[in-house]
Amino acid sequence: MFSHNRRKLLQASGALAAAGSVPLLARAQVAAPRVVVIGGGFAGATLAKYVRMWNPKIQVTLIEPNPSHVSCILSNLVMTGALGMNAITLRYDTLRSKYGVSLVADRAVGIDAVNRIVTTQNGSRIPYDKLVLAPGIDFDAVPGLDTAVLPHAWQAGPQTLALKGQLDAVPAGGTFVMSIPPAPYRCPPGPYERACLLADSLLRRRRAGRVIVLDANNDVVAEPHTFHTAFRTTYASVIEYRPNSVVSSVDWANKTIHTNWGPIRADGANIIPPQKAGKLVVAAGLLGTNPATRWAPVNPLSYESTVVPHIHVIGDSQGTGQPKSGHMANSQAKVCADALIRYFAGEAPDPAPMTSSACYSPITSKTASWLTVVFGYDAATGLMKPVPNTLAEAPAPSGDHYEDMFGWANNLFADSFS
Amino acid sequence: MKQIRKYLSGASALALLMATAAAHGAPPAGRLLASQCAQCHGTNGQAVSGMEKLAGESEGEIYKELIEMKARIKPDEIMHRQAAGYTDAQIRLIARYFATSGKVSTTTSTTPTTGTASRNKSRGDD
Repeated sequence: MFSHNRRKLLQASGALAAAGSVPLLARAQVAAPRVVVIGGGFAGATLAKYVRMWNPKIQVTLIEPNPSHVSCILSNLVMTGALGMNAITLRYDTLRSKYGVSLVADRAVGIDAVNRIVTTQNGSRIPYDKLVLAPGIDFDAVPGLDTAVLPHAWQAGPQTLALKGQLDAVPAGGTFVMSIPPAPYRCPPGPYERACLLADSLLRRRRAGRVIVLDANNDVVAEPHTFHTAFRTTYASVIEYRPNSVVSSVDWANKTIHTNWGPIRADGANIIPPQKAGKLVVAAGLLGTNPATRWAPVNPLSYESTVVPHIHVIGDSQGTGQPKSGHMANSQAKVCADALIRYFAGEAPDPAPMTSSACYSPITSKTASWLTVVFGYDAATGLMKPVPNTLAEAPAPSGDHYEDMFGWANNLFADSFS
Repeated sequence: MKQIRKYLSGASALALLMATAAAHGAPPAGRLLASQCAQCHGTNGQAVSGMEKLAGESEGEIYKELIEMKARIKPDEIMHRQAAGYTDAQIRLIARYFATSGKVSTTTSTTPTTGTASRNKSRGDD
């Protein structure tokens, strides 16, 4: 599939494109441009779908070891038992059957950015003209924390059910401790939503003791009005919210969580570790040389890495400062898809891309809130900035919002995966 | 643009225009902006359930609705905040894209629809 001549031609045409003069049309007549995508979450699936839908002449290969993606969105409702796993399990079949995406059920393990080849666990070598990394998040180790025993469930799947097991096993009047990592992390309102649903679930089963929320941040990160209200009123008898609280280690043999304020005894726990870009992003050197960098710096016009050319990073691993969420990942994937299509036509990216975020959070078993913001590219700073008057949370949770939550999720699932 | 649209009124003419654009790789105007509506309103505006379908609505309808939303933001309407994110010119491009792509998608849509939207969400004035 990959030949020396072809590579030389690619390098030559790449150089021409870099010079900003000649389109890649001559090259396109020789062979279809090849986009390889690593990771089939909301970002990767949307990217694969939209590139093929918008330009079927481009080959798209999605490398993803799992046969389906399990959505974090709505997964707290699986934790409470309101939904089954099938409701959040999104298969990749349609990407292949409807859009002609090539699926490689394998794990990408290496990137040769000079020769533009991805290597996989099973030994395949997959060449690319443009590589898109969408590996989601990775976690810092928390001393003593064994996630096989205490699941973080911040990637949905088997851990979601394991967390449900933790919740179901809390004895009447027991103490459940959950921790929130420092921002930025995946899904800003997510941990607070989880705290509410833990409390709601315990209350409804008449087993409520305490839910202690240890927040590494100095205040609620997202929807402060909604969650402070919920903590102070709806769940005042259950939730104890402690800002500036950092988990230093876990000693689960003794059911003890150690924090900067001292040890806490718990009957159940959900420790969500601090987060960073996916492993492959780090391994490919996309974080650059500053060891403090946790997310891949990219050009928000195309999501191309500012460190390694022809590798684009979308979704939670990218470091533009936009919120990390499935909705936002879908949003960025479209900007990236459009930029890739323009690139293969010898054009510059859209100079004024917009992205948006909208999400619904269940607050009780019958009500939900929402959070929204629109971002626009600011040419002066080269950053994506929130457009004035667009950042807002719902004034109050409601049953209507709870219903809309499923309309939002179902459309987002379909727009990303089918 | 209005002149051009007069001449290219039929779906086949539009398909030709899109094919020509595709051959040169130039995305149709408004496509990327309009795609930002799809997370809630479905791929190409073909909502699968629970949200308003945008495909096939007239340009004037979509434009007027979004302009009204951002002119009078109601705190309980998520869509008003979304509308506030876009300039009038961007809203025009979005509306025009849905109005024209909706016509094409009745014959070439790759998106399944499972019935019409159950509720008309976030109307500008009610």
